Amino acid sequence: MAHPIRVLIAKPGLDGHDRGALVVAQGLRDQGMEVIYTGLRQTPEQIVATAIQEDVACIGLSSLSGAHLELFPEVTRRLKELHAEDILVIGGGVIPQEDIPILKQAGIAEVFTPGSSIADMAAFIREHVRQTDDLGSAPVSVPVNRIDHIGIAVRSIQEALPFYTGQLGLAAVHEEVIPDQKVKAVFVPVGETDLELLEPTAQDSPIAKFLEKHGPGLHHIAYAVDDVAKALSAAKAAGYRLIDEVPRDGGQGKRIGFVHPKDTHGTLTEFCQRVHEHEAQRG
Amino acid sequence: MGFQDEYDAWQAAVEQTVQKRPERKPAFVNHSDIPVKRLYTPADGIDSEEAYLNKLGFPGQFPYTRGIQPTMYRGRYWTMRQYAGFGSAEETNARFRYLLAQGQTGLSTAFDLPTQIGYDADDPFAKGEVGKVGVSISSRLDMETLFRGIPLDKVSTSMTINAPASVLLAMYLVVAETQGVDWKQVSGTVQNDILKEYVARGTYIFPPKPSMRLITDIFDFCAREVPNWNTISISGYHIREAGSTAVQEVAFTLSNAIAYVQAAVDKGLKVDDFAPRLSFFFNAHNDFFEEIAKFRAARRMWAHIMKERFEAKNPRSLQLRFHTQTGGSTLTAQQPDNNVVRVTVQALAAILGGTQSLHTNSRDEALALPTETSARVALRTQQILAYESGVADTIDPLAGSYYVESLTDGIEERAWQYIRYIDELGGAVAAIEQGYMQQEIHKAAYDTQMAIERGDQVVVGVNKFTIDHEPQPELLRVDPKLGEIQAERLAKLRQERPAEACETALARLREAAEGTANLMPYIVDAVRAYATIGEICNVLRGVFGEYRSPIF
Repeated sequence: MAHPIRVLIAKPGLDGHDRGALVVAQGLRDQGMEVIYTGLRQTPEQIVATAIQEDVACIGLSSLSGAHLELFPEVTRRLKELHAEDILVIGGGVIPQEDIPILKQAGIAEVFTPGSSIADMAAFIREHVRQTDDLGSAPVSVPVNRIDHIGIAVRSIQEALPFYTGQLGLAAVHEEVIPDQKVKAVFVPVGETDLELLEPTAQDSPIAKFLEKHGPGLHHIAYAVDDVAKALSAAKAAGYRLIDEVPRDGGQGKRIGFVHPKDTHGTLTEFCQRVHEHEAQRG
Repeated sequence: MGFQDEYDAWQAAVEQTVQKRPERKPAFVNHSDIPVKRLYTPADGIDSEEAYLNKLGFPGQFPYTRGIQPTMYRGRYWTMRQYAGFGSAEETNARFRYLLAQGQTGLSTAFDLPTQIGYDADDPFAKGEVGKVGVSISSRLDMETLFRGIPLDKVSTSMTINAPASVLLAMYLVVAETQGVDWKQVSGTVQNDILKEYVARGTYIFPPKPSMRLITDIFDFCAREVPNWNTISISGYHIREAGSTAVQEVAFTLSNAIAYVQAAVDKGLKVDDFAPRLSFFFNAHNDFFEEIAKFRAARRMWAHIMKERFEAKNPRSLQLRFHTQTGGSTLTAQQPDNNVVRVTVQALAAILGGTQSLHTNSRDEALALPTETSARVALRTQQILAYESGVADTIDPLAGSYYVESLTDGIEERAWQYIRYIDELGGAVAAIEQGYMQQEIHKAAYDTQMAIERGDQVVVGVNKFTIDHEPQPELLRVDPKLGEIQAERLAKLRQERPAEACETALARLREAAEGTANLMPYIVDAVRAYATIGEICNVLRGVFGEYRSPIF
């Protein structure tokens, strides 16, 4: 396999016992997988968001507190809601035998209780994760006009900006805080395309997580489209997974939606539609 | 022939035997990587009266290796203190009364995770967790129910509570008040050990610095107001459960203890004023002799630390008193009845190691919370050891065992190496912040897992002697509706309590938290005014912030 299987090991709920989660995380790494660990006290929503953002093929949930019947199915339900049910979900921890059929019914593929071996878990994951190269081959085109902007993650706009305004002689034209994304954005036009410098405003901002993992740099490319909703549904029909099923508000009063980077060969792709006339004319 | 000649002759004979018939393994090493020799002789143990006095001493005397009381269990057995708690305060109250009626001599309270992390039962974060791993306590009303019909001047109660220990202690004291019991007569323990939460157990709320303040506030407050209260139980239990070796358990626990004592001294408290109320909590795993040696080594080390490092004078300050719990993580979901045997071996090690109180795990704990029947078998295990086996009839019966003394020295030596290294890192808090303890424990946990998968470490019923069809025992189930019931009760409480008094008490608490005053009296007042654990902890979250664990 060209790419290692990516696995998210997650601790849903308030349970702090993560010996098993940590041991499994390391064990799967030693089995050649790429493993991300969420840390403690994650809600099902956070786990699913991380799984999609990190584009994992498998989520391993661990709980020893007895809350698994409420927390595990919430993860699969949420995945389904976001059309990401092809992510394999497995569970582990202190889980009575009689609960296992209930969890399987809810879409947990397998449950590994204490005494399970890491080799067995790895074999199960290899056997059951989705094959990544089976996207539909029939092309369904997504009409794109031009590059609207390029998103660049920075730790500090104040520190990054002089390169663009000084060295490249560009001008920053617009600054705003996008509360939904917990980012501050500054737009620097280059011809008809903007550079969008993105700085996190909170530790749990997606941009903060991106910076933590990749460091500063190219974050996404946004294509201008006439109709975001149409572009998203066309992409979905073609078999591309979406981060946003429906358009939402982005910077500069635009309507935006993201396509999953795994299906676009590693580049986070945004569609955006300028909805306010004065904004559209500015650039 | 002298000793050496006889020994050499034996060695030669053994070599011949081994050539013909090799031993089970090429090398024998225990879990702490201490080599186990084929045979121990007087040369390995206590070889002179002088060495005896230095290393062992007599029970009740420095360095307390043989025990902290002069007569140990000949005077009184250890306290049989079974950790219990689940569901609602009513259900746990019933389990408490059952255990007391069965001859248990102290109570030990398990709280659910929302309580442990300072959330009310109706908080969104509490979803799915209410009453699951312990009893749900949101306000003094729950606490009153929990101890209904149990006179607080007659029992001693241990509470496994850390980040919000001040709040639960305040609730307990307010319940004592309503029962008409003087605080001076109240006895028990709050675990109150936050450092091991960052290292191993994960139920922290605040960052280390304000957490240390809350802890030393309890030391100070109880020294004056609740003199029979054990203000902290410094825990190696969870460190071991997270995967550490026995040596790491001793080393990290004592390092954390050093940090607490130092923090209190830095705050201006006199060591002999609070040190007699410090207590410890250790694990007992399966390696029988290693465990016994571990307890003896820990006692000796603590006596030296307190005497030499902190210059404590009161003998009680030098005595390491400890509770023991058998190792939860050693229990298997497979063939659960085997766990009764494991627990027996571990409990015996704790008794031979001189524990002051003991919790024996129930056979079904790798599957769910214990049922009443399995909790009773666990308690009976202790009673059989105490009343039938005779092991409590003489003090420290394994002293002088060449092997046990050598192993005690070996554990002590290796634990000192860790403590010295942690000192170099800047102490326990710095070591934890740098992830040092976490990484060491994780390494040990991973090695154990791999040893089990390779079959080098045998777990009966799991990687050897397995059976095909596992009959499933009956399990305890917590009412999934409990969250809703608790939420309704809280809504009623919020409506009926004196709103102004409650708000004033919380406002005064906030002000005190922003300053440097001892917070205990303010928390007690808030509890008296029916403020909930979530409300009190939210005030403190607002001032102190919340801790987020870095991932190492």
